[in-house]
Amino acid sequence: MNFELTEEQRLIRDMVRSFAEKELAPSARERDEEERFDRQLMFASLAELGLTGIVFAEQYGGAGADYISYAIAVEELSRVCASTGVTLSAHLSLGANPINLFGTEEQKQTFLVPLATGEKMGAFGLTEPSAGSDAGGTRTSAVRDGDGWIVNGTKIFITNAGEADIYIVFARTDKNAEKHHGISAFIIEKGTPGFSFGKKEKKMGIRSSPTMELIFDACRIPAANLLGSEGQGFAVAMKTLDGGRIGIASQALGIAQGALDIAVKYARERVQFGSAISRFQGVQFQLADMATQTEAARLMVYQAAYRASNGLPYSQQSAMAKLMASETAMKVTTQAVQILGGYGYTRDFPVERMMRDAKITEIYEGTSEIQRLVIGTALTR
Amino acid sequence: MKILVCIKQVPDMESKFKIAASGTWYDSADLAWRMNEYDEYAVEQAVQLKEQVKEADLTVLCIGSERVKETMKKALAMGCDRGAHVADDDCAGKEPYEIAAIIAEYAKDKGFDLIFTGMQSQDRGSAQVGVLAAEMLGIPSISTIVTFSYADGRIEVKRELEGGVKALLKTRTPALVTCQLGLNTPRYPTLPNIMKAKKKELISLPVADLLKVEARMETVKMYFPEKKGGGLVLEGDPGQLADKLIQILKEKTGVLA
Repeated sequence: MNFELTEEQRLIRDMVRSFAEKELAPSARERDEEERFDRQLMFASLAELGLTGIVFAEQYGGAGADYISYAIAVEELSRVCASTGVTLSAHLSLGANPINLFGTEEQKQTFLVPLATGEKMGAFGLTEPSAGSDAGGTRTSAVRDGDGWIVNGTKIFITNAGEADIYIVFARTDKNAEKHHGISAFIIEKGTPGFSFGKKEKKMGIRSSPTMELIFDACRIPAANLLGSEGQGFAVAMKTLDGGRIGIASQALGIAQGALDIAVKYARERVQFGSAISRFQGVQFQLADMATQTEAARLMVYQAAYRASNGLPYSQQSAMAKLMASETAMKVTTQAVQILGGYGYTRDFPVERMMRDAKITEIYEGTSEIQRLVIGTALTR
Repeated sequence: MKILVCIKQVPDMESKFKIAASGTWYDSADLAWRMNEYDEYAVEQAVQLKEQVKEADLTVLCIGSERVKETMKKALAMGCDRGAHVADDDCAGKEPYEIAAIIAEYAKDKGFDLIFTGMQSQDRGSAQVGVLAAEMLGIPSISTIVTFSYADGRIEVKRELEGGVKALLKTRTPALVTCQLGLNTPRYPTLPNIMKAKKKELISLPVADLLKVEARMETVKMYFPEKKGGGLVLEGDPGQLADKLIQILKEKTGVLA
């Protein structure tokens, strides 16, 4: 057993960290305040660094690296800017990976290659007003029409929406089938007639990442855009989310680490009662707990990523990692704000943004409750 | 064209340094290591030159323990073609003259048209290695360059001088230049290039084969400067305070003539 990162993984970490600190950090606060997505900075530059297709095979435009490298990349981006972290995670895990997992060779050439190289950006449309944690409640419909499908319905809370070029969309193709069996997955391109975007959400956190509605109004798509087989949609969604959880767990881990780093630095500099507050045991104990929890989350995230890379079952481990990392992010950022006190509560320091950003990691790509359900069901099956 | 770039692995300068038991260098335990910042500019310039002339072979050289290979991989991921690692667990104990001699011994007879080094290392800061190596090789060297251009066997560079003055120099190759911060914008090693770097040639040479000179100087002691006493606190009413302050500024500084 070996807990050391490989030389390659360390080089990737150093590269992404250096990029994040030099390029992302200076505008993170401003982008959050303005709710502004900067495509060049937050996506095109990731493509130039080869991050948009990290885990995919070279023949499909990827870098052929492992899931630990991917986790490290999302972690390092999120340590500085959680919005950029989720942009990459939603693109790679949710937009591109379903095509990698379930696509035909032709679909991979047409859609996966431009996604992996970052020429195009991906997104994932599962959630609906009546289908959140319960994906079986999907009402968006796809009806056969000659050699194509007609899609009608609305998807909500879609990360990367509006900016992304390729969307994986889930729709009910058989009204009579049992709820999980009548759903199919489709690849739908931005610009397809009948496909438009609804309102842009005004969010608590990850405000520099766009979240919008997808609206399908008699949107006609070619038969070749069915992903996987008809009725396989639920399986496509669940398998995709297993991998997606590693991305979000890494995002949460990065947020926690970022807040911890700031809290440690601040505690060593802040003088009260004639000494740096880091000398007070009350503060040291808080920092010790924050660091311990963050490190525990890291081990779980890397373990899930290791299993994903090595063809081992990882559904339960990725649920545990996501649960642990997101709850750690919430706790650590809250404590970081406390350590920074009044300054922590202002926007002059990044910890209040990190605390707002952390909350979503307990909600999207499966709430903490759903993670417990996944873990609990597997335990008691 | 054959190009050589010499790099050094140094600690992250934000590390907390401790003096080693020997008392002549810092303790290398528990430090994070990275490429000497000046050398990043040297690597970038060497890669840019290779890209400009197309037909070029770029070697990166680094002296040190096994640990420095990771920094060499970064240089390979930035675009160097091959690596020459001079295996030496005690390179921190060697003085600049010895380091320069190792480089010169390696480079002689290899026909490098251009050699790039950083202007200095962040941890020793002697700024001697590049220019000494050039002298040993009998080629011209230009230090502290802030611009670089190459055409038809000639280089044209600007050097940064004190007082905001710059100097424009030309020379023929072969030549050696030492690179100042800001010479260019060092690229990030992209992920696909990091993956490819592990397949590039990286040979290790024992230092004993290349070191043929004796040290000419030794470090006697390395230490942290003694902490100076606390500041001077003036007391009294504002008028008196102002008078005292003016008096001190006149006597002890050049602020008020």
